[in-house]
Amino acid sequence: MSPPGVLVPGPFGIDPLVWVVLRLLIAVLLVVGLIFNGALLQILMERKLQAWAQDRVGPYHVGPWGLLQTFADALKLIGKEDVRSRFTDAAFFLTAPAITFTPMVAAWVVIPFAPGVQGIDINIGLLYLSSLGAMGVLGIVIAGWASNNKYSLIGGLRSAGQLISYEVPQILSLVTVVLLAGSLQLTKIATAQPGLQLNLFILPAAFLTYFIAALAETNRTPFDLPEAESELVAGYLTEYSGMRWGTFLALTEYGNVTIVSSIMTTLWLGGWNGPLVDQAPILGVLWFTLKVYVIIVAFMWIRLTLPRFRIDQLMNFCWKVLIPLTLTNLFVTATLKVALPAPWDLIAIGILNWGLVAAFIVLIPRLQRRRLERLRERLRTERERTLAPTA
Amino acid sequence: MDFIAPLIFVILAAIVVAGGLAVVLLPRITGSALSMGLSFLGMAGLFALLGAETIAFFQVLIYVGAITVLILYGVMLTRVAPAGADRRLFFQKQAGWALVPLTFVGVVATVFALSFQSNVVQQPGGDLEPLANAVFRDYAFPFEVASVLLLAAMIGAIALVKRGDD
Repeated sequence: MSPPGVLVPGPFGIDPLVWVVLRLLIAVLLVVGLIFNGALLQILMERKLQAWAQDRVGPYHVGPWGLLQTFADALKLIGKEDVRSRFTDAAFFLTAPAITFTPMVAAWVVIPFAPGVQGIDINIGLLYLSSLGAMGVLGIVIAGWASNNKYSLIGGLRSAGQLISYEVPQILSLVTVVLLAGSLQLTKIATAQPGLQLNLFILPAAFLTYFIAALAETNRTPFDLPEAESELVAGYLTEYSGMRWGTFLALTEYGNVTIVSSIMTTLWLGGWNGPLVDQAPILGVLWFTLKVYVIIVAFMWIRLTLPRFRIDQLMNFCWKVLIPLTLTNLFVTATLKVALPAPWDLIAIGILNWGLVAAFIVLIPRLQRRRLERLRERLRTERERTLAPTA
Repeated sequence: MDFIAPLIFVILAAIVVAGGLAVVLLPRITGSALSMGLSFLGMAGLFALLGAETIAFFQVLIYVGAITVLILYGVMLTRVAPAGADRRLFFQKQAGWALVPLTFVGVVATVFALSFQSNVVQQPGGDLEPLANAVFRDYAFPFEVASVLLLAAMIGAIALVKRGDD
């Protein structure tokens, strides 16, 4: 890694000035290829997993074991007629998919696949990822508004509310990890977890809150309210078709899922660390990809298991459960980190974090039950009051 | 290599100025809001060019990701005002024409009077530590006062819009 601003000569004696441009081109093409193939693979995975969970076979016509199904779908999407309603707001309608797609592509610059296999190792990589994650909302809101459709508009507004709210617990959970690692640099956070000393074991509560917030940030079930098909047709996607729809849903959504999974892998699962990485650094790419896909499968598993939230439940859960939990976690982690000497602070933080996870699992159902009882009680008294004879 | 940084600066400055002009001149308010986002993005680029990457990313995170979206949110929920001037707004345009040159002269005078005399050169290796030291050590008290002020403003806004029925 060379510091930015210094020109390095390329391989095969390529002129430094040419190499700067060429390197950029190769990197962008590589990332776009990764995103396209990742989306195809993940859609196939998702459909197969869904099929197995629901006792079906899933796609099996195109290619052996249905392997080429998503390729055929992609070809169909690209070849589709470009349909657009006359009453949409042309300029915004056409740029909206690009506004969500570009930050997602730009985020790949800092993802550390292995030692040395990274676009650029900036010292505030995590901040960069968070700020790009926040930019995607803009495109969704614009899409909802430009479609000139009630369902699209509601979908776009829901998305804005949801994404801005869930950014708070997301960033607070990231800050907890940053406190422990002492750096915002992704490679440093990854190397700060040698062997089995993973942040997952020390900071499970932060992992849990980040995982939930990431589900909401990527519009995955149970937080897929912006595109809830049973109430909003397809939300902000309703008026989109063909490859514009494909860019929005397939590429951006699955690309974002890959990015948040990469963040979780780097921050909690030790990044590229694994057996034999010290001997052959390129093996890191394999471990990294494996860990990322374990998290992606967990995402899909949750989608298969849980029903969708209601919008008020979604907001209540964020502001009344997740944010207090992350704030408590951050406060206590910071206090313990300052108060205790080196090996003891990690142990204390770990015990406390597991305690928070246990409290979360035990208390949430209890709280829900109490709220439900209170609601029923109120309904009963109200009914009695209205039914009571006034005369 | 020397020509690249000024070239990027010119492009970014053009984006900022064009975005700012579009905010004022575009007829549709949604277009204005979106061009404001573009202008903020150009500003972030300028910060990054100056070596203040942290400020650049906070600019994107807060101004592009949150404030522009909130403004769009507000615009979508309000109805477009009917054409026709309000009597109370009669002098608004004239006041604008009078204030713009004054502000312009003031800003330019301040910039030339102050910043070119300071010899602060950005150290290589990012602005994260100087920023953190400034906010949480040197100016910790004003920073906290500002956050209390924001909290008070937020509570005030909630109290203003809260209906009496619950």
